Parts: sequence; C-alpha cells; structure tokens
Amino acid sequence: MTTFANALASAAVVVTVAAVVVLWRRRLRSILVALSIQGVALAALATLLGAHEHDGGLLAVALLVLLVKALLIPGLLARVIAATPGARETDPLVNVPASLVIAGLLTLVAFVAARPIVALVGGPTGRLVPLGLATVLIGFFVMVARRRALSQIAGLLLVDNGIALVAFLVTSGVPVIVELGSSLDVLFGVVVLRLLLARLTAAGVRDLDQLRSLHD
Amino acid sequence: MIALALLVVLGGLATLAGLAPRPYRVQLVASLLVLVEILAAALSVHVLASDHALLGHESGLLPFSGVRVDLSPLGALFTLSTAVVALAATIHWLGYRRHAMSSASASSAFALFVTTLLLVPAAGDIVTFLVLWEVMALTSLVLVAHDHAQRDEARQAAWWYGAMTQGGAALITLGLVVLGAHAKNPGFSAIAASAHHLPGAARGAIFLALVAGFAAKAGLVPAHVWLPRAHAEAPAPASALLSGAMVNLGIYGIVLTRTLLGVGPAWWWLVAGFFGVISALYGSLYAATSTDLKRLLAYSTSDNMGLVVIGLSASGLFSAAHHPIASSLALVATLFLLTAHALYKSTLFLGAGSVQYATHERNLDQLGGLARTMPVTTVTVVIGGLAVAALPPLNGFSAEWLLVQSLVHGLTGADPVTTVATAIFVAALALTGGLTIVAFVKAIGVGFFGRARSEPAQHAREVPVSMRLAPAITAGACVIFGVAPGLALRAVERASAVVTANRSGLGASISGFHLGALRGAVDPLALALGAVVATVLVAGLRRGLGLKGGAKVRRFEPWGSGRIVTSARMQYTATSFAEPLQRVFDDVLAPQHDLDVSHAIESRYYVERVAYASANDDVVERRLYRPVLALATWWGMRARGIANGSVHRYLAYGFVVLVIAVVVVS
Amino acid sequence: MNLASLLTGATQLALVVLGGPLLLGLMRTVRSRLEGRDGPPVSQPWRDIAKLAHKQRTRPNESSWIFPAAPLVLVATAATVAVLAPLATLTPPLSASTDFIAVIFVLLVGSVSLALAALDTGTAFGGMGASRALTIGALVEPALLVAVLALSLPLHSTNLIAIVAEGSAHASVLVGPSHLLALGSFVVVILAESGRLPVDNPSTHLELTMIYEALILEYSGPDLALVTLGESMRLAIWFGLFVNLVAPWGIATHAGALAILLGVLAVALKVALAGVAVALFEVTTAKLRLFRLPELLAGGFILALLGVVTGAVMR
Repeated sequence: MTTFANALASAAVVVTVAAVVVLWRRRLRSILVALSIQGVALAALATLLGAHEHDGGLLAVALLVLLVKALLIPGLLARVIAATPGARETDPLVNVPASLVIAGLLTLVAFVAARPIVALVGGPTGRLVPLGLATVLIGFFVMVARRRALSQIAGLLLVDNGIALVAFLVTSGVPVIVELGSSLDVLFGVVVLRLLLARLTAAGVRDLDQLRSLHD
Repeated sequence: MIALALLVVLGGLATLAGLAPRPYRVQLVASLLVLVEILAAALSVHVLASDHALLGHESGLLPFSGVRVDLSPLGALFTLSTAVVALAATIHWLGYRRHAMSSASASSAFALFVTTLLLVPAAGDIVTFLVLWEVMALTSLVLVAHDHAQRDEARQAAWWYGAMTQGGAALITLGLVVLGAHAKNPGFSAIAASAHHLPGAARGAIFLALVAGFAAKAGLVPAHVWLPRAHAEAPAPASALLSGAMVNLGIYGIVLTRTLLGVGPAWWWLVAGFFGVISALYGSLYAATSTDLKRLLAYSTSDNMGLVVIGLSASGLFSAAHHPIASSLALVATLFLLTAHALYKSTLFLGAGSVQYATHERNLDQLGGLARTMPVTTVTVVIGGLAVAALPPLNGFSAEWLLVQSLVHGLTGADPVTTVATAIFVAALALTGGLTIVAFVKAIGVGFFGRARSEPAQHAREVPVSMRLAPAITAGACVIFGVAPGLALRAVERASAVVTANRSGLGASISGFHLGALRGAVDPLALALGAVVATVLVAGLRRGLGLKGGAKVRRFEPWGSGRIVTSARMQYTATSFAEPLQRVFDDVLAPQHDLDVSHAIESRYYVERVAYASANDDVVERRLYRPVLALATWWGMRARGIANGSVHRYLAYGFVVLVIAVVVVS
Repeated sequence: MNLASLLTGATQLALVVLGGPLLLGLMRTVRSRLEGRDGPPVSQPWRDIAKLAHKQRTRPNESSWIFPAAPLVLVATAATVAVLAPLATLTPPLSASTDFIAVIFVLLVGSVSLALAALDTGTAFGGMGASRALTIGALVEPALLVAVLALSLPLHSTNLIAIVAEGSAHASVLVGPSHLLALGSFVVVILAESGRLPVDNPSTHLELTMIYEALILEYSGPDLALVTLGESMRLAIWFGLFVNLVAPWGIATHAGALAILLGVLAVALKVALAGVAVALFEVTTAKLRLFRLPELLAGGFILALLGVVTGAVMR
C-alpha cells in the first residue's frame, strides 16, 4: 500500500515539477523535454492506477497518453522549433525568478483550494489532487507570462495534463473514450496551432505581442 | 507597591532635575535615572521570580477610574528588558552629552521617557495605560525633534513620527474604549473576562484597530515610514531606547490585545502574519541596501519586529488549530526574540552613536578603518551585528532557532491553511536571515574594517569610558544569553504562560534548550566551546608552522590589478557592496537612477563627463504616502476657495446645511 | 558524552581533515582527465597546503585583527561540525543536540568571518568577492531552510542524526517524493554553498568573474593553507551530509570499532562517487552569469517548497 502510494505520489510530483521546469528553463528544447517527461509520468500514473484496480481500459488510456502526450505532441513541436530560425529561448514577460515564486504561491493556493475535493475523494489518490490543480494553475500562468507562441502551446498542454491528472485521481480512471476524445482534441489543436505558427513565422511574426499591431 | 510609588517619585525627581543648571544637569538626571532603572529591574525580577502579578488600585489619582496597577510576569519581562536597555542608554548619555542632548528640555524629556517606558507594562486599566502611552509618545517626540533647529531632516522626522504615532494612538484609544464600555469597567482583567460576549464581527474590528494602532508603534510596514527617519535623527541614547524599548511596547500591545480578546479565529493571525512577512522582507531588503548606518539599523528594527509578529501570528494560528504546545513554543520564541532584539539593537544604536560622536558621520561610504582607531566600540558592534544576523553562539541564534522549531512542530499538515502559512513563514524567515547577514556584514565590514574612506574616519579617536562601557554591557548580555540561553528561559516561559495559560514543555539546562515532548535540542555552549578550543588549537598550529618561515608577519600592499599604490577610494563602498542585491530585487526596490553622459564635441566616442546619481528611497513612502499627501494638499488648496472670508458665504453654507437637515429629517 | 563518542568524533574529524583536500584533488583530476589533460595528482591540494604552511605569514598594510582571525574561525567551525555531524556514524558526541539548523549556522559563521576579512583587506577585489558571495548566500537561504523543513516532516524534528537514522532504518523514507524533492533542492544549495559550477568557477583566475577566489585573494602562506583546508573540509562536510541523506547505507549505527571503520569506508566511497559526479557535471556545464543565478536558486527554492507541500499532502 505504501509503495503504491509512494509511487503514485512520485508520478504526480513529476507532473507538477515538469510544469515548474517549463517556467524555469529558457531553452525551448528543455521545455519540450519537460513536456515529454510529464506525458511519461502521466502514463505511469495511469498504469499504476490501472494495475492497482485491475482495469484494462485504464491501461489502454495509459498507452494512449504515452503515445500522444509523451511522443507525438513533443515530436510535432520539436519540428516547429527546428523550422523556426532564431527562436531558441523563451521570452519571458515576467522574469524567471518572479515566475518561479509565483508558481510556488500558486501551488500553495492549489493546496488550500483543493481542500473540499481532497475531503470528498480521500485515500491515496484524492490527497494528490492539489498537485494536479497546481499544474493547471501553472499552465495558465505560463500562457500569461511567456511571449513566444510555442510557450502558449506549452501552457495549454500543461493545463490539459493537469486536468487529466485531476481526472485520473478523482475518478480513478477516465473512460477510454473520454480520454481518447480529449487527447485527440488537444492533438488537433496542436496541429492547427502548428500550421498557424508556420504561417506566422513565414510572415515574420515571432511574438504574439506583435499581433497587437494588426488592429492599427 | 511602595517600590512602584518610589519609582514614580524618583522618575518625577529626575524629570525635575532636568531643570538644574548646566554643569551638573546630566550627571544629576542620569544618576537618578540609574536608581529608577535598578529599582524597576529589581521589581520585575521579583515579579518574575515569584510568578505572581503585582496588583494595586489607587482611586482618585486619575479621573474615571483612578490608577490600577497590574504588573504580570509578561509585563515584568518587558520592564526588565527596558530597564537594561535604559541603563545602558543612560550611561552612554553621560559621554554623549558633550556631542548633543544636554539641554534642559532634552534632559527632562529623556527622564520622563525612560520612566514611562518602564511603567507602561504595569498599567492595569485603560486610562492608566493610555495616559502613560501618550506621555511616552510626547516625550519621545521631543527627543526625535531634538536637532530640529539645526537639521531640516530632524523636523521632517518629527512630523512623520508625530503623525504616525498619533494616528496609532487614536486607533488604540478607540479600540480600548469600546472594549471598556462593553465591559462597563476599565480594568484589563474585567475586559478580558467579558470580551468573549462581544459579537464576532465586533471583536474582529476591534482586533484590527488595536493591532493597526500598535503596529504603527512597532514600525511594521506600511506604518514603518517614521522609523528610518526618527531613529536616524534622534540622539543615540534616545534612538537606542526607541528601537530597544519603545517598539517592544508596540508588540506588548499586540500581546495585550490577545490577552484581552482571546485567541480568536485564524484569519486574525493570517492578517497579522501577512504584515509580519511583508515587514520582515521589506525591512531586511532596505537594511541590506541602505548606506546610512542608523537608517540601516532602523530598517533592521522593522525587519525584526516583522519576525516577532510572524512568531505571534504563528502562536495564534497554532492555538486556533488546537495545537497548544506549538503555540506556547512560538510565543516563548517570540518573547525570547524580542528581548534579544532589545539587547543587540541597543548595542548597535549606542555603537553607531559612538561612531557619530567620534567622526560626525553616519554614512558608511565615508567610514572605514575604525577597527584600529576605535577597538572597543568595534568589538561591541561586531557582537551586536553578529547577534542580529542570528549567528551562534549569540542570543539572536537561540531566538531564531526556537522560532524555527515552533514552526517545524506546528506544521502538522492537518490544516492546509496553517500548513501554507507556516511554510511561507519559514521561507520569509530564511530570506530575511540571509539579507540581514548581507546588511550587517556590509555595515561592519565597510564601516569598521578596511581603510578609512574620509579624513574624520582616519582621525577618529576612541570615545570616553562611559560610551565604551554602555554598549559593552548590552553586548555582554548578548553573549551570555547566547551561550547560556537557559538562564533566561524560565523568565520568558513564565511571561508567556500569562498569555497561553499552558507551558511549552520547553526544558533547559544552563547551556541549551531541549524541547521536552517534542524532539529537538540545541546546545550553543558546547558549540561555542568546541569552536573556541578548535580555534586556539589551529592558532597554535599556525604559530608553530609559521616559525619556519619566520615568526614575523610581513605587511604588504594589497593587489590593485598591477597598480603600485592602492588607495582607500578603490575599496568597495556600501553602495557597491549592495549593488548585486539591488539588481536582483530591482522590481521591488525600484531605485531611481540618473545617468548623465556628455560627449566630447569632437567625437561621440569620447566621453567628457559622466554624472551618475542613484537614489534608493523608501518605495512605500514614494508610492503610497506621497500620493495621499499630494491629494490632501490639493484638497487643502481647493478648500481655500470655499472659505474666502465672506460672512455672507458662511451664512449661506449654514443655510444650505439647515435646508438639507430639514429635508432629511422630514 | 562518553569516551567512545568522543573517539568517534575524533575519527570523523580526522576523516574530514585528511579527506577534504583529497576530495578537492579527486574532482580536479577527474575534470582534467575528462578535458583531455593529465592534470595534477589527487594529492596535489595536500602538497600545496604543505608548501604554503612553511612560508612566511603576510597581511595587507592596513588590515586589522579580523584578517588573521578569519582562517582560524573557518577551520574551527568546520572542525566543530565535522566532529558533531553524522558522517561516518550515527553516534557522534552530543547526538541529541546535533541540530540541522545549528550545523548550517555554525558553518555560516565561517563564511561571514571570511567575508569580513575580505572587506578588511581594503581592496576592490575583497569587496567584490564578499558582496557576491553573500548575495548568493542570502538567496540560497530560503531553499536551504525550506528543504530542511521538508526533510523534518516525517519526524517533526530538525535533529540531523534523527533524520539520517530514520532514512537508514526505513528505506521508504528515502524514496518518498517529499524527501527526493528536498534533496533536489539540496543539490542546488550545495553547488552554491561550495562555489562549484554553474555558480562559481573554482578554477578561474580572471578577476572579474571570480567570486570565491576574489574573496581570498590577499591570503598567502600558512593563512592560505588554512583557508584551503577549511574550504575543502566544508566541501567534504556538505557532500558527506548529502550522501547520507540520499543513501545512509553503511553508516555506523553503534560505537563498535568495526562498525565505525565500515562507516568511514562507506562515507569515503560515497563522497568520492559524489565528487566524480559533480566533476562530470562541471565539465558539461558553463558558469551562469551572476544575474542569472537567482533563476537557479529560485528553482531550488520551488523544489523545496513542493517538497513541503507534498509532504503535507501525503500525511
């Protein structure tokens, strides 16, 4: 039991730490690595839950998560980076130390705010919900505080992964069909954004703030 | 009671003695004051030793209620630490009078200030408390304004201080009067017995009013703006008392609020803790970047009071979360920190006063090299500075260790809000600690070590005996209570038991603490002994080895990047020392830079003159108070048009008001 | 405090004094091998110390008492911690009051006295080194203390011996996510505290980039020998504490001679491994700009904070 709880907690912690790393590191490649690791951790968590509850569907979801979130999406984004000249580092609106301190505060907020859910679900899964909530909040913050389009996508993915984490923990497993739907949605979104990004790059736009000049 | 009456009489005599003719005035006042201080110390030691409050009631002395005395062990702890600080300040004054503060008004004000400082914790009802509080505020205002004729800064300091302290006093009066009216009795014990009948919202409002009023006295951000001005401008013995005794009474007020109102809900202490964290971080950050020695010390006071309020809030939170042991432990730590602060901060202010006496200089960028010319003062300041920085084996370390322990034991994880607050407290404590070390290494290293940066510092002479003795007393106490914190523990624990009604279970041997049922202990005496023995052994080893290379130490000119002769101007100044930190916290401090480069006419690539100015003024003052003051001024100017002196217009105003009143009433 | 515990303390002190410079030498050798150089032998720091110890003592013209005193304090504080800390054994003297925070602050006394001495030299470099070292020290502090808080959660105690003993008794503590996060933050803290890359380049001699080297620029002769010894002892202590928090295997749990011998061997091996790992890391990384350091240190702080939150969540 304790080993299971420990392993489960470690996987959840890796998901949150990966979100922090997205804020922490400036190199876009490192951010992709963090996202990929987050996908792996999420898959590991689903596997653990599936194995613990003897739920084949959950194992299938784990495989799906692994393929889409750990391999496919980071792979697609890596090609975006390779195709975009001169965009190796993020461009923070809020400087990195301040972002990290804010991320810490968001984690604490999540810890307090998740009280009712923790009380409702309980057990080794329920008490990890704050970590999922923290991932969601950090993801939103990444979208607010980073300028590059790729960072925006990364933020969106963090939010999605955070929601997935909460969903796994709260319902002890999402039906395959729901997870399939949401994963494909996100994948679809990434593909569209990637195409859009390619067009923007072709038009010479690198920061989303530059889009502001469109309305003049 | 007789001792207390004697104390009042002696204090009054000392105040009158301020009118004595000049050659003997200060000696006369000071010797009477020494008697007062010794008497107060003996009285409070008696209360602490017997663990019984000193009670008394004398009707007819003051209107409404008479005078009620209630010197509990809690109050006695405050009186005792004030007495020690005041003793040192009085002795320092004997020498300092040749520099400043020898006039009749200053002498009388000083005597009355000391007496009221000693008596405030003994007040047992609202009227007595408020009268003493006001006399304390007014006499300290006289001392802050002491240099007003010579220095514009002193006048400004007095304005700020007067405004803040009167605003605070108004809030305190309001809160206490409401409580007294509800209890139908001005006595503190009667109020404490009846306050829980008040509705929750009213209690909360009274708590906020009282804590805000007392926080203004304790110098918490954002009510701290008077502190760096007043502490810097007051003469040294007075600033030692302001920082070592008077701000403590602000904290006494917050503790008193808790005894009057009870612990209350958790949100009270979350609010208080928030301001504690802000004050601690803000104060330490400004201390680390200040270059004026006394301003630095004042900001550090603000930071320490922030830590104290963090401790109080932790105690309240743990109590609200039903964790009584951690709660009492936090309160013991808080009171220990408070007494430690009184000792080391008065050492530092007296030391700074000695420096000012010897060099007429407070700016660190103009000091340096005092370790050779003023050895005794330097040693006391080093002890005080290392104590503020919470380094073992000095008393600041024991206090901070206890505070961290209470937080560690209070973090049970049972209640997320308490857990989050505790984690933030620990982080704030840690960053504050680090910044304080920067501040005081800067103050000591730049101000006292290295080479003299100016003529006055070069030719500084050691101060008279009394001015060397005074900080040595408090510095000695810092060492004693640092090495053997157990000596003070029982007194502090009795004081805290007045509030929490249960003991922390903290045990002590002479040399250290152990946390009773909780797991944890520290032994500063053993650490100090070990380190001293090791130092002596290594020194012997170095001497033995050095014999081969020649026992004589060769002096050389330090490395100046190839220049043959180095000069004192090549040293790092206090400003440059703090520069990296200032850049890291650029967004918070928002310093104002002004770079003016004029180029040669012939070519843009040759610079003719570079002028650089940077000002690091208080950002709260600039962003919060200045706009408010500007608004008030604007409003005042507009109001002039309303009152232009025409009688008809005034009658018209009266008429309009009358009409409105009639309409409203009907 | 009995004779046996005193003897174990003395053993630990001897280990740290002898092993500290060797650790420094090992890390230098590994680095130079990886960079394709032969490099000095592992014993080079000891040879340097021996050579310096026989030179004449020197001091800057206008320095005061703190300058010659600081190396003594540096070595003495490191020696005190070496006796008390759980490095080779869980039964050093005064084990009931070997507190984590006390250990940190005793080591801090050494850093502060060295910084004061640097300012006492009256040169630009001394001030530069002191200013930078202390700025980093101040920013490290939150990560360090919050990490200690996270480590103290399982036992509600900051007693260092108890924390290490708990890990050695229950391996599940060691793999707990809270413990791992705290140790992650500890890595950052140790790199900063001991002046390794990417915080400070210990092998630089370019005046404007150095931190620690600038701090001790004016020391030479026996004083420099002491400073080198003290610094290497501190390095060994930090590494020793870290490896025992990660993997306290082999540490002596009672005061038997054989157990302590095993403990000494185990901690020496683990610290050597840690040294090689850090050297490997240093070869592959570049020094961060001074004003990028807050990013690294804030990261360490967040890891520790997550550790506290996870620990509280898991309870």
